[in-house]
Amino acid sequence: MALMKREEWYDLTRTTNWTPKYVTQEELFPEEMSGARGIPVDVWETYDEPYKVTYPEYVSTQREKDSGAYSVKAALERDSFVDRADPGWESTMIAHYGAIALAEYAAVTAEARMARFAPAPGNRNTAVFGMMDETRHGQIQLYFPHANTKRSRQWDWAHKALHTNEWGAIAARSFFDDIMMTRDSVATSIMLTFAFETGFTNMQFLGLAADAAETGDHTFASLISSIQTDESRHAQQGGPSLKILVENGKKDEAQEMVDVAIWRAWKLFATLTGPIMDYYTPLEGRSQSFKEFMMEWIVAQFERQLLDLGLDKPWYWDTLIADLDNTHHGMHLGVWFWRPTVWWNPAAGATPEERAWLEEKYPGWEDTWGQCWDVIVENFQTGKPEMTGPETLPTVCNMSNVPIVGVPGNQWDVKDYQLEHEGRLYHFGSEVDRWCFQVDPERYKGHMNFIDRFLAGEIQPPDLNGGLMYMGLSPGEIGDDAHGYSWVEAYSQKIDDAA
Amino acid sequence: MALFPIHSNFERDFVIQLVPVDTEDTMDQVAEKCAHHSIGRRVKAQPDKVLRVRHHENGTIFPRDMLVAEAGLRPTETLDILFMDS
Repeated sequence: MALMKREEWYDLTRTTNWTPKYVTQEELFPEEMSGARGIPVDVWETYDEPYKVTYPEYVSTQREKDSGAYSVKAALERDSFVDRADPGWESTMIAHYGAIALAEYAAVTAEARMARFAPAPGNRNTAVFGMMDETRHGQIQLYFPHANTKRSRQWDWAHKALHTNEWGAIAARSFFDDIMMTRDSVATSIMLTFAFETGFTNMQFLGLAADAAETGDHTFASLISSIQTDESRHAQQGGPSLKILVENGKKDEAQEMVDVAIWRAWKLFATLTGPIMDYYTPLEGRSQSFKEFMMEWIVAQFERQLLDLGLDKPWYWDTLIADLDNTHHGMHLGVWFWRPTVWWNPAAGATPEERAWLEEKYPGWEDTWGQCWDVIVENFQTGKPEMTGPETLPTVCNMSNVPIVGVPGNQWDVKDYQLEHEGRLYHFGSEVDRWCFQVDPERYKGHMNFIDRFLAGEIQPPDLNGGLMYMGLSPGEIGDDAHGYSWVEAYSQKIDDAA
Repeated sequence: MALFPIHSNFERDFVIQLVPVDTEDTMDQVAEKCAHHSIGRRVKAQPDKVLRVRHHENGTIFPRDMLVAEAGLRPTETLDILFMDS
């Protein structure tokens, strides 16, 4: 029997819906899982995802992609790139896998929720592929780092990180739990696939791939580029949902979901990706600054898409753009200063040469962040390394779960945005973080950040060792300077040269 | 006497930090405890200046000998620590 042509059956099957006889529509698609928001089924049936694929096509393409990525890995294994990679780049990989790999597995659940409960048949169809995509991303990003567990226990954090109470893991879980694990299907399509995957995974998986290729890490470059080809397909689930909401009187609600998710994603990326791009990646491997990547991949892209969909730019857009000059520098300095509390070895990225690059990309860096690094360098040079580490904890934002930072030095502007709610004093790193909380206090008010847990007596003994134990960081896993402080020698050399 | 957590927003530093003080500490002692975590770590000392404590939200500069217990602070309140001439 001849097979029907794709165009003869595809649209019928991808929009197939049914009329339940034994249960009600509400029982079949409960609102808290589905999120139809009162919009009728026949409207949801108009949902039109721009990227369409059949199951045979999907399987064939995915097989090719996997063959490609695994072949590159196998071929380059003998090359032992990791043995000769700059330690800053090795830290990049260790940080990436720990923060991302298990979140991909969690995303399978989010896609599965859409595959079962999305009110739009087209969304359910696409989410089945998304579910398989995320399974692949979880597996491949655990398999690749596993080959390196013989090098150090930090590589094992690809699997371990998100099972711990390490502060960065708490921040990542808080974000992903919010946007994809505890939302109805329509909200998940908007907050996870549109707000997060459209822009920010592009940044992590294509922007970082460019740096990886420049650095000579072709295995990592091919892996994360391969993943992004899936992301760019299943990320398109949110756009049609937004279109339906906007056309059916739900613009304000749609805008709010977009605004919350973009902001929360930004703060997480400022902590993880910002330091990687502007400090860990060796100078010669940096294709663009973090700010340049953000302007190209996030700001320009979202502006265009939001307006095309009939939405507005988020109300805080100017704040976000201004923060591109600052926030990630603070997150980097914080991560480096509290380096025992992370599962990778942060690279300082603060040699005179690197600082010149930072000043060029971020005019005023020396007058602000450079002032703090001057004190750190002086402590190394005058034999006071104990002063280059902390004796207390940074204040952590009750929304983003990352430290509250601002501009230091001559342009000092650090601010805590406090809020008293039902007798509890909350602390936020920005007006926008506080706004996210105020949008839905019931959702967020019970969460305990790392400082809240410390003050509640959950961390014993209440000191650095107790904190490390609570975070699951053991000797061999605890972070230290990626280059063993050899970068400080560049300053002595500079003094010698001047003499 | 009781332990009282505050958050220190130290002038010229980049991050706010948790600092345990005592309800019987004077504001000068609060400033000194906060300085321990910033000066010489990421902020240069300014020997010709004194450190003063300011309420982060309403901008009130507290008298140097005022006790924490007298200042009407909420636990974990954020305080600014400033370099001033007097």
